[in-house]
Amino acid sequence: MTELILQALFSGVLIGSVYALVALGLALAFGAMRIINLAHGELVLLAAYMAYLVESRTGLDPYFAIPLALVVVAAASFVLFLLVDRIKDHRELNSLILTFAIGIILTNAILLVFASDVRTTASPFLQDAVSLGDLFAMRSEIIAFVLSLVLMGALWWWLKSSWYGRAVRAVSSNRGAAKLMGINPTRIETVSFLVAGALASFAGVALYTMSVVQPATGHALTVKAFIITVLAGVGSIPGVFLGAVLLGVTEALTVTLASSALQELAGMVLFLLVLFLMPNGLFGARARRG
Amino acid sequence: MLELDAVTVRFGGLTALSGISFRIAQGEILGLVGPNGAGKTTLFNSISGLVKARGRISFNGREVTSLPLHKRARAGIGRTFQIPQPMHHLTVRENLAVAQVFGAGRYDEKRIDEILAVMELSHKADADAATALALQELKRLEIAKALATEPKLLLLDEVLAGLESNAKRSFMLKLKELHALFGLTIVIVEHDIETISGLCTRAVVLNFGQLIADGTPAEVFNNPAVVESYTGTAHA
Repeated sequence: MTELILQALFSGVLIGSVYALVALGLALAFGAMRIINLAHGELVLLAAYMAYLVESRTGLDPYFAIPLALVVVAAASFVLFLLVDRIKDHRELNSLILTFAIGIILTNAILLVFASDVRTTASPFLQDAVSLGDLFAMRSEIIAFVLSLVLMGALWWWLKSSWYGRAVRAVSSNRGAAKLMGINPTRIETVSFLVAGALASFAGVALYTMSVVQPATGHALTVKAFIITVLAGVGSIPGVFLGAVLLGVTEALTVTLASSALQELAGMVLFLLVLFLMPNGLFGARARRG
Repeated sequence: MLELDAVTVRFGGLTALSGISFRIAQGEILGLVGPNGAGKTTLFNSISGLVKARGRISFNGREVTSLPLHKRARAGIGRTFQIPQPMHHLTVRENLAVAQVFGAGRYDEKRIDEILAVMELSHKADADAATALALQELKRLEIAKALATEPKLLLLDEVLAGLESNAKRSFMLKLKELHALFGLTIVIVEHDIETISGLCTRAVVLNFGQLIADGTPAEVFNNPAVVESYTGTAHA
């Protein structure tokens, strides 16, 4: 039993790292524009299907789809941004309706083009088991974990050390005052959406290699990302990572100890529990500020 | 330097500013005074681009009436708020650096160090702007941020509000020092007659969105219309 629990914890950490990438994209767009992009999960899904497309049509490893996923998801993110940017009144509320609708359109477009079948990688290399002591993982899970850590580090560096990253933090902190400092918020919001799209591209391809995807996966990913950002606090990368790992571990333990049918429910229960016991999230008010 | 021609601002049926026209010459320190609700902050908002105004606003010979806020900041119009607006996710130094890079289009660490030193914030340079500063320091950061954009015109909105008299005097001296050191033109919104008289070479008075007096502080504060606007009674 202990071995099973340890294995579930390990698997939870691995999948949690990919959830963190998804959640960071959502948090980035929220920080810059104060909108919750309810189509973010569908952008991740779009990248996953680009990986499927490249693998099924060319026989190449799904990771070769990253450039295509980056281009397609960046284009979709840009169109999404242009539509959201047209909302002038009550942007927080109206953007929820708009992005929810775009999510539905994307899901159905994917359904139309790729059908409702469940897809995953056929690469034996990626599906090979790797053992770490008594723990096992697919090679794709280890690659995704390392990739996620590298990308989170890169995002942390970009936000902390680059001028555009600092400007994102400035706009996120005080949009009006940022304009008085000469910052063009529209440009910063565009950059934030594109970076969020890039994170979604990597997350989508990684998810395709280590899990199964189907058109309904996008909505589930948006919900997970929303749960993680609320648990962790927007703007805190370590907080998002820990929140994502917690969600991943909770899901994995539920699957191991109870039933895979309860996996999604477990995340919701965790979400409600944390909100009930720690209304400021796992990392309190300070982490929420940044 | 700055020319306002028939600047009018309406919020629905309310006229907040009505046909305001005056000029500000380079190097002036101008006091903008008037009772609460006179339209002082609205005028600042019009000049800096926070609200849309009718009429014409020209800055250094260039019409800026329809320029967005960030482009006016880049053109050299700096502005502070009565309630300081620091960038909470950035350190004090980062607040200035971002303002300089995006506002002035360059990064000059020496200049930032100079501003930090003048505004007596060097010891808090790497502190979190949200949690480590007291009110006076936040007010100094507010001005330092505006200075980092390398403005030619600095609009100070009730920057002395909430300070006790000694702090007020020392802040006035600081503003005079900044004026001389950076060759600024300053417009300051302030209620205190003593401050305006001690700091400004000229004062413009607004009441109910209209300009009712323009002259030296001594002239405007003896103007019967100004006295009436403050006291509600005619000057004896």
